[in-house]
Amino acid sequence: MPYFGSEETVKELKRALSNPNVQADRLRYRDYISKVIRYMTQGLDVSALFMEMVKASATVDIVQKKLVYLYMCTYASVKPELALLAINTLRKDCADPNPMVRGLALRNMCNLRMPGLTEYLEQPLVAGLRDKASYVRRVAVLGCAKMHSLQPSTEIDSSIVNELYALLRDPDPVVVVNCLRALEEILKDEGGVVINKPIAHHLLNRMKDLDSWSQSEVLTFLLRYIPRSDEELFDVLSLLDAFLQSPHAHVAMATLCLFLHYASSHTAVQNDALQRSTAPLLASCGTTSRELRFAGLCHIRQVMRSQPSLFASHYKRFFCSYSEPGYIKLHKMEILVELVNDENVALVLEELRSYCTDVSPELAQAAITAIGRIARTYTEKCLEILTGLLSLKQDHITSAVIQAFKDLVWFCPQSTASVCNAIESCTDRPQDSEGKRALLWLLGEHSEGISSAPYVLEELCADELKTEWSPGVKLELLTAAVKMFLSRPAETQDTLGRLLHHCIEEESDMCVRDRALFYYRLLQRGIQETKRVLSGPKSDPSLSMLTGRQEEPVIRWVSDFNTLAPLMNKHDSMLKESERLLATQPMGVFSALAPLMDNGTSSPLQTERQRRASEPVVTTTENEPPPGDTDTTLSSHGKEDEEEAFCLSASPPLSHEEFEKLWVELQTLHTQNLLAPCAQTAPETLQAILQMVHIQTLAFTPAHTLPWRAFLYTRSAATIILTEILQEEDTVQVSVKQYPENKLALRGFLSTLQSAFQTLNAENTCENVALSF
Amino acid sequence: MIGGLFIYNHKGEVLISRVYRDDIGRNAVDAFRVNVIHARQQVRSPVTNIARTSFFHVKRSNIWLAAVTKQNVNAAMVFEFLYKMCDVMTAYFGKISEENIKNNFVLIYELLDEILDFGYPQNSETGALKTFITQQGIKSQSKEEQSQITSQVTGQIGWRREGIKYRRQVLSAHVSGRVVMKSYLSGMPECKFGMNDKIVIDKQGKGGTTDDTGKSELGGSGKQSIAIDDCTFHQCVRLSKFDSERSISFIPPDGEYELMRYRTTKDIILPFRVIPLVREVGRTKLEVKVVIKSNFKPSLLAQKIEVRIPTPLNTSGVQVICMKGKAKYKASENAIVWKIKRMAGMKESQISAEIELLPTNDKKKWARPPISMNFEVPFAPSGLKVRYLKVFEPKLNYSDHDVIKWVRYIGRSGIYETRC
Repeated sequence: MPYFGSEETVKELKRALSNPNVQADRLRYRDYISKVIRYMTQGLDVSALFMEMVKASATVDIVQKKLVYLYMCTYASVKPELALLAINTLRKDCADPNPMVRGLALRNMCNLRMPGLTEYLEQPLVAGLRDKASYVRRVAVLGCAKMHSLQPSTEIDSSIVNELYALLRDPDPVVVVNCLRALEEILKDEGGVVINKPIAHHLLNRMKDLDSWSQSEVLTFLLRYIPRSDEELFDVLSLLDAFLQSPHAHVAMATLCLFLHYASSHTAVQNDALQRSTAPLLASCGTTSRELRFAGLCHIRQVMRSQPSLFASHYKRFFCSYSEPGYIKLHKMEILVELVNDENVALVLEELRSYCTDVSPELAQAAITAIGRIARTYTEKCLEILTGLLSLKQDHITSAVIQAFKDLVWFCPQSTASVCNAIESCTDRPQDSEGKRALLWLLGEHSEGISSAPYVLEELCADELKTEWSPGVKLELLTAAVKMFLSRPAETQDTLGRLLHHCIEEESDMCVRDRALFYYRLLQRGIQETKRVLSGPKSDPSLSMLTGRQEEPVIRWVSDFNTLAPLMNKHDSMLKESERLLATQPMGVFSALAPLMDNGTSSPLQTERQRRASEPVVTTTENEPPPGDTDTTLSSHGKEDEEEAFCLSASPPLSHEEFEKLWVELQTLHTQNLLAPCAQTAPETLQAILQMVHIQTLAFTPAHTLPWRAFLYTRSAATIILTEILQEEDTVQVSVKQYPENKLALRGFLSTLQSAFQTLNAENTCENVALSF
Repeated sequence: MIGGLFIYNHKGEVLISRVYRDDIGRNAVDAFRVNVIHARQQVRSPVTNIARTSFFHVKRSNIWLAAVTKQNVNAAMVFEFLYKMCDVMTAYFGKISEENIKNNFVLIYELLDEILDFGYPQNSETGALKTFITQQGIKSQSKEEQSQITSQVTGQIGWRREGIKYRRQVLSAHVSGRVVMKSYLSGMPECKFGMNDKIVIDKQGKGGTTDDTGKSELGGSGKQSIAIDDCTFHQCVRLSKFDSERSISFIPPDGEYELMRYRTTKDIILPFRVIPLVREVGRTKLEVKVVIKSNFKPSLLAQKIEVRIPTPLNTSGVQVICMKGKAKYKASENAIVWKIKRMAGMKESQISAEIELLPTNDKKKWARPPISMNFEVPFAPSGLKVRYLKVFEPKLNYSDHDVIKWVRYIGRSGIYETRC
């Protein structure tokens, strides 16, 4: 509604607000003002009413005042010259006998976001810091931080900083905490507020007066303080002991974090703290609030990285309830997998089995994967369940079970026989590509165990010729066929021949075609040679020894504990982490951070290196290297990356959505005009040429339309480069965005792009020449 | 810290938007709407990261509350804060609904102004907030009141304002997995609360002072004491005293509040047993029989019993026969809802239904969701009992005897599900 006839509405309000009859009637006046605020909330631009609203601020009605202030804070930056008119009223209010009015005026004065305000602000702020009402002092203290954020570049006023440090001794607890917050923001560039021994001890003594929000913030500030001696350390810890059991999950977790941090050299103390905090952590995942439950579960998972067995006796707390949202169920299943031991395995499996038939395919598949992971230790029981699930004949379940089988066979070779039997008797075929690939892998690798394997393969192969599958499945199909040919040549020869023929002659995907050609040539060199190349290990029994994840030292995760990081999935948490690093370290960390951004997916070289770095964990499964690993690899990678030669790669592919998201998010880094005005003549050629230099074309407008546009992307080492090419009349403009920034890669990319264009031009001219002849 | 707070209705229209910090722009409001409220798939996480801005959201009935931040904040705290925010709003105007929020939007802006400043939580106790925001809004406070604000905000006790006077002293405790207390007491009284916590009873048993509370007149639970696994208290309770002596003493806030929340896992008496029988007769018929048995003293009455028996999606018709209460098939909810007003202890009741199904070629088997049940029973299934509640007010002249006290025990079903 507000978007239609908005001008009319504003005019009408203007008329009403300046009507003396309305102004005389207090309630009607307030009513109109709240109408203005309502439109403001809905997104209508009501800044034209600024004059009338400023007039309305001179009133005794506090509610009206608050509304007008809210309005002014929103629009002051748009109309700074009019906002100055309000300053007088505000300053007058700052001297009002009522502390509430004083506080209100001061707060809103600081909230006005406009330049040149500082000179008016300083005097009332200093007065506010010394006000006898703590309400005003609270406001004034944060006001200092707001003033600083208005002009971040100006010199820090040391007198204010000193005053704030002095106010840390204020009798009002909120003033104390606000002082910490304000100092932290003002002194951000110098490393934040300094917590020395007297301040730390003062804060510790005030802890019990604080409200829960302040407690948890103070505990975070205290992380900066390092007790001088063991004696002091234990005094501090015993003082904070009660807070480990705080009713507020965030306070309990903040205390735990502090304990772990302080006692980093006393493992016994750490373990004791973890033990004692199980109760509040468990309580937090039993609360009625889903969100807090979710937060609690995420934190439990973090604690379990160091002490997997801590919650073993409470495994029943992690059984899912029917009405819980998916995100909670997924976490609970992950936790259950870790908690399995000899006593509870039967019950846990029983429970997980009931989740396998969940309405949501995603949850059902997660449950099956979970059983698959438990199967690495309790093979028999799990195999029974998984095989039973196959008889349900539902696509998503079959697919997940076969994927679980694939991983299982890799980890526990002793299960091969039963898996083969199960596959043998399963008549259902998975429909999604992941499931198909798993099935193909099993068929190819264990064709001796599955007597019907060649016929299943033949059937799949015939399917493939009929319907288009994803290249990944085709590759797997090729490999499976060749492998099967090695073990059962007579039954496979025909199928393999047809498949190779199809892939070489008719396939449009380069990768698949190349692979087919490769196998073809390999087979020409003889069976022995092919065997030597293709037969790798069928399983890795050494991995089956690893029944669970290894225990990590607490230090790996404690820095992230009780922040946003545990709640985000791994990739995001790394982004957060890197952002934090970026915020604290000024320069030169970009290249060092690079490996964090893509986590081993960017270039094969890098994946290889990570594989070396964390040998036992990188396998065919989803068991990626734990995020903590990056801490250690960080420093060593940085150097190498700087020296590494520049190379582009277009994989992993980027979806349209992802591209769009990144494009909107990022700033344009570089724009350049290219002197090659014939890009639009043959977009397909351009695409092919760019592909050769590993630049992927995501989308382009049809040829011979103006303006002509194309969107490209590529990756280099660890940065991703997004590009838009825009051709109007006879100029070609290239705008580039990059994340994270890397000058070297950018330069390399631009020169690659330029040479690609030149090639295209050369080709075109040739053609033209040919035509003219 | 928190950069902004937004409230939306179920359609994604903005009802309230308050930005506290510069780094949050107006487009953040739309980003959340587009990416979360209007998203096609289900909510995947209560925290959403859009363009390096984190959105924490909580949903109350069909209202979305979202807190926005660009920093790496303490997630648990933000959620708890959002819940606190809901509590405060409920205390001011009742249920959180679109209607109520629209009608009280001025008040909500006032609250948001006081609760957060520059994104930092300031004052979130309803009791104390009521001195700032009176909903009258007219500057008519007397000198006395002004000084009260000053002392209030400087005082140590944030949850109770001073100078509360009542003619009758009323206090009641209500035990239900949590202890909710309503107190209307004058002055600054100090209260002591006692319950049949195992540790305390054992301690006193050793001391020789045995209490008579074992003689319970309440439902099936004849236990003397219960083992509390863990409990959390309202901030008014002195935790140090609880840790050392296990005694709960506090200066109560005024009005209704949750004194403590506890959890027990051992020896819980389930008030009802649900025995389901499902028989598939051919492809188009299901026979369901559900028996519920009440398992507590016959003199007690359970109330508001509601059993919800899920039916398959392709149900075409249902015939129900029940001996007690009323049962109805609700096609929109895919369930048979069976309601019984009252039911005494140690009784049994059953319902049988014939469900006719439409033949489908959907191979998917019916997932058989659990049978859920709701009820209220007049005792605490955990066995927790209030042993005493004492009030001391040294300054005003009323004593423990003048206080009118009563206790009500309610066992309310949370999620009570039986798989069939």
